Amino acid sequence: MRPLALLLAATPDSVRLTSQTRILAAVLAVAFMLLILDLIRRDRLQERYSVIWFVAGLGMLAGAAFPGLLKLVADLMGVRDTNVALFSIVLLLLLGLALNFSVIMSRQAAQITRLAQERALEKARQQGEEESA
Amino acid sequence: MRTLVFIPAWNEQASIAAVIADVREEIPGADMLVVDDGSTDETTARARECGVLVATLPFNQGLGAALQTGYLHALREDYELCAHLDADGQHPAAEVGRLLEVLVADRADLVIGSRYSDPDAEAGSDDYKPTLSRRIGTSVFRFFLTLATRQRFTDTTSGMRAANRRVMALFSEHYSPDFAEIESLQLAVREGLRVEEVPVRMLERAGGTSFLTPVRSAFFIFKGIVVLLVGQFRPHHAETDR
Repeated sequence: MRPLALLLAATPDSVRLTSQTRILAAVLAVAFMLLILDLIRRDRLQERYSVIWFVAGLGMLAGAAFPGLLKLVADLMGVRDTNVALFSIVLLLLLGLALNFSVIMSRQAAQITRLAQERALEKARQQGEEESA
Repeated sequence: MRTLVFIPAWNEQASIAAVIADVREEIPGADMLVVDDGSTDETTARARECGVLVATLPFNQGLGAALQTGYLHALREDYELCAHLDADGQHPAAEVGRLLEVLVADRADLVIGSRYSDPDAEAGSDDYKPTLSRRIGTSVFRFFLTLATRQRFTDTTSGMRAANRRVMALFSEHYSPDFAEIESLQLAVREGLRVEEVPVRMLERAGGTSFLTPVRSAFFIFKGIVVLLVGQFRPHHAETDR
């Protein structure tokens, strides 16, 4: 029973989270995931780009439900202050996400260029056919 | 040999007709294609009035994308040779014809027209007088490209080139949009293609000023070095296999 209690408990010496913050964080996480679902529903966000955000929302929810998780992760990282651990993880995740978008952007830029070239050549071919006709 | 001469043009309505006429006179057997890189002026209309095919990109994509369009067309329409020159009138078509001769003799796969007639001459000799920042850039690129390719290049950013089908196959798939001229040379050498520089006569630009300010030049040079460094570690491509 002790590990579970540790996970659930917000004892002062492990993680300094009040019930209030935990409820707020949980509500925010749920609201965030609802927003993602709504964006997908209205075709503003494609499913394939939504998974990562959904995982982020679930992570937030998990952190709110089990503050002990954070402590566990901080211990694994060898960081005494759980806040520092939290911020480092979030920062790294955002960095990875931003890089991911740059990669996607580069791919799409290459696709747009090829599309423009294909269209330009198609027009030139048409011009050639019209002039020889 | 079926030859395509293509001319990348971006807002060159003033000079494009003269360049087309020059090519027509000096390289009579060649077909022509003007690649209009999303000009906002009358470049496309001027070129069509001259009776050449025009591939108009729907928006400005940069020189690399425009050149690649030409290589793609040459490859697909089964041209044996292709060449390109600038649309601003700096490149005499007669010199392009000399580049093509090297290909006809099969002495190289890719031929570059170099404005520096003597490979050992300092930039700025001859009748061509570049600005200081361009001189620095030229020297730096010469040094690093020579280091990367172990081959002597003098005019690394020359936009006057002639190529055969092996080069078309490579460049129509792999042509950096950002650093087209230098990276393409490195790529061609890395892929085992024979690249040769031929000294050519070039003219002063008729009008307009260079886009290079000192700060831009510094950034340009820095970017070039990074591009060359990364280029050394690129995987090899299959297009050029004989």
